[in-house]
Amino acid sequence: MKKIELLSPAGDLERLKVTLLYGADAVYIGGQKYSLRANATNFSLEEIKEACDFAHKLGKRVHLTLNIVFHNSDMAGVEEYIKDVVACGIDAFIVSDPFIISYIKKNFPKVEVHLSTQNSTTNYETVLFFEKNGVDRVVLARELSKKEIKEIIDKTNTDIEVFIHGAMCTCFSGRCALSNYVTNRDANRGGCAQICRFAFKTDGEDFTLATKDMNMSKYIKDLIDIGVTSMKVEGRMRSIYYLATVIGTYRKIVDELYDNTLTPEKMEVYEERLNRVANRETTSHYFMHEADEKDQYFTGRQELSNQDYLGLITGYDKENKCIVLVERNYFKKGDLVEIFTPSGTTYEYKIKNIYDEDMNELDVARHPEEVLKLPFDKEVEEYSMIRLIRGA
Amino acid sequence: MKLLIEKNTSNFDNLKTDGIILSLKDYSVQSTIYYDLDEIKEIINKYPKLEVFIKMNKNIFNDEIDRLKEMLIELNKLNIKGIFFYDLAILNIKQELNLDVDLVWDQSHMVNNYRTCDYYYNEGVKYALLGKEITLEEIKEIVEKSKITSIVEVVSTPAIAYSKRKLLTNYFKSINKDKKDTLEILEKVSNKYYIVKESNNGTSFYTKDIMNGTSIIKDLYSVNTPYIIMREEGIPDFDELVNDTHEYIENECKDNDYIEKYKKLGDNTNFFFKETMYKVK
Repeated sequence: MKKIELLSPAGDLERLKVTLLYGADAVYIGGQKYSLRANATNFSLEEIKEACDFAHKLGKRVHLTLNIVFHNSDMAGVEEYIKDVVACGIDAFIVSDPFIISYIKKNFPKVEVHLSTQNSTTNYETVLFFEKNGVDRVVLARELSKKEIKEIIDKTNTDIEVFIHGAMCTCFSGRCALSNYVTNRDANRGGCAQICRFAFKTDGEDFTLATKDMNMSKYIKDLIDIGVTSMKVEGRMRSIYYLATVIGTYRKIVDELYDNTLTPEKMEVYEERLNRVANRETTSHYFMHEADEKDQYFTGRQELSNQDYLGLITGYDKENKCIVLVERNYFKKGDLVEIFTPSGTTYEYKIKNIYDEDMNELDVARHPEEVLKLPFDKEVEEYSMIRLIRGA
Repeated sequence: MKLLIEKNTSNFDNLKTDGIILSLKDYSVQSTIYYDLDEIKEIINKYPKLEVFIKMNKNIFNDEIDRLKEMLIELNKLNIKGIFFYDLAILNIKQELNLDVDLVWDQSHMVNNYRTCDYYYNEGVKYALLGKEITLEEIKEIVEKSKITSIVEVVSTPAIAYSKRKLLTNYFKSINKDKKDTLEILEKVSNKYYIVKESNNGTSFYTKDIMNGTSIIKDLYSVNTPYIIMREEGIPDFDELVNDTHEYIENECKDNDYIEKYKKLGDNTNFFFKETMYKVK
């Protein structure tokens, strides 16, 4: 049986490398044109090629978003761009425009085409329409229940991808132009200003329509059982720490489900990890019931600050037997931390000594970006990180 | 150029319009009045000279597909000009069942370029309702370059977003107050008002400002735009506007008094002369 795919966002090359090393089977990235995150860093052609080379060496895949809603002028140059990115080695395009789908299928039949969630596909007849027009995979709307997803899978032959984690739109994707009207930023060409996070006024009160984030970690077995092909994590603008934690955690859940080693105790740890890295509350939204007031926010303040990420490990000082890290958040002697690695190994560790780059001892680490050293008797993999478990 | 209207009542007497849009109950959203099949048949019989279009612009879910097929088979027997659709299930069913009924591609904010319009034309879609977030120049280019029959919305309080969520039910529950089905909300920075309406099929957002495209009708006429649409919701003295517009078109859009008269609808020309941006750096 083919294992379910874990698909991660990557906003730049570093994030791409981190998330693949932490266990993503595939990544989706945006190029510098035609992507719905116009304000993310996004990838140049050279970077797309490097991304593909890196992923392919690991036996993994790169999907490129080409999912804006095209205006007349956007069509100029798109054919050349498609040719260029195909030459870079991408494995699949994520597209919402059916003209673009037909163009790619006709001219580059070996490259997969995935229908973007921007199309808000909510039924099997729509999947059948795209199936006969050559689409290899459909990313379903986030408004569907388990029963509805299963029925679509049962009645079609197209691969099905669903979102499992991250921020949600309040409206149907593609059917919202609030950003255009409120800020003149084009929601469907990559400029969405996230108006659904604004607080409006009505009768002197705040009116908000914001949603909580999605977290489907409890339902991964259900997704495997009903035949979902790919599970997508949202967030091309998320940090490497977020990606390492979320992707690393889902990697564990998936692998342990397949080899029957996932226990309730382990699941509790994984859920705690996902909760701590989240910057909003989470729910499973439509998957088990119709979304309701418990899936929304009704206050202006929704973002939670997270300072668990203490540092990125960048090397090992063999002479002094210390890990070398770049600090991200404040920590101090006595803090209980966890070192976690791309391969999934974790080490619980109580900080006894902190040194600067020249081995001068410090009581606290209080300068983000400072290079520091912590005594540790073994070398750990590149892109390992440290997170706080409990402060002293 | 023909005029299509969507009214808040089923009385089309004494109206100089070429056609009407009727929203089919349970299959359409963002309308003020919805009709069942029998009511639609009655209107078709009562107004045999009017072109009748049916609106079915809801996102469709699996459990609606069987009834949707039956409904499309029934509609296929009627003397209607076309069906406005959002969900591609409707196009797929038309193709599957070989139905003759014509379709109008009506995917709200996505009908924005002539090449995709032509894609749908080649799939058997006769008409397209162009997006409201594109400029007049873009509209004219689509009208001129695409084989599809273009329809342009010129006067309305535009529907700008649609959610499956019961946003007003949820909101009023959260503040422990009795639910209202309509709410006016203010965006504080731009100081603009929006209207939120909830129905059984979800929640829609509208601008409170009228989109006044009366001044661009002559431009649309000059490039032979086949159809324009006016929607009554939020528009004062709508019947008079309809009759004046019909006369204006009949007189080849030469009467400047029409444009002067309808400046009273306000100076919001939506995106006809304003491009959206998407890169903010």
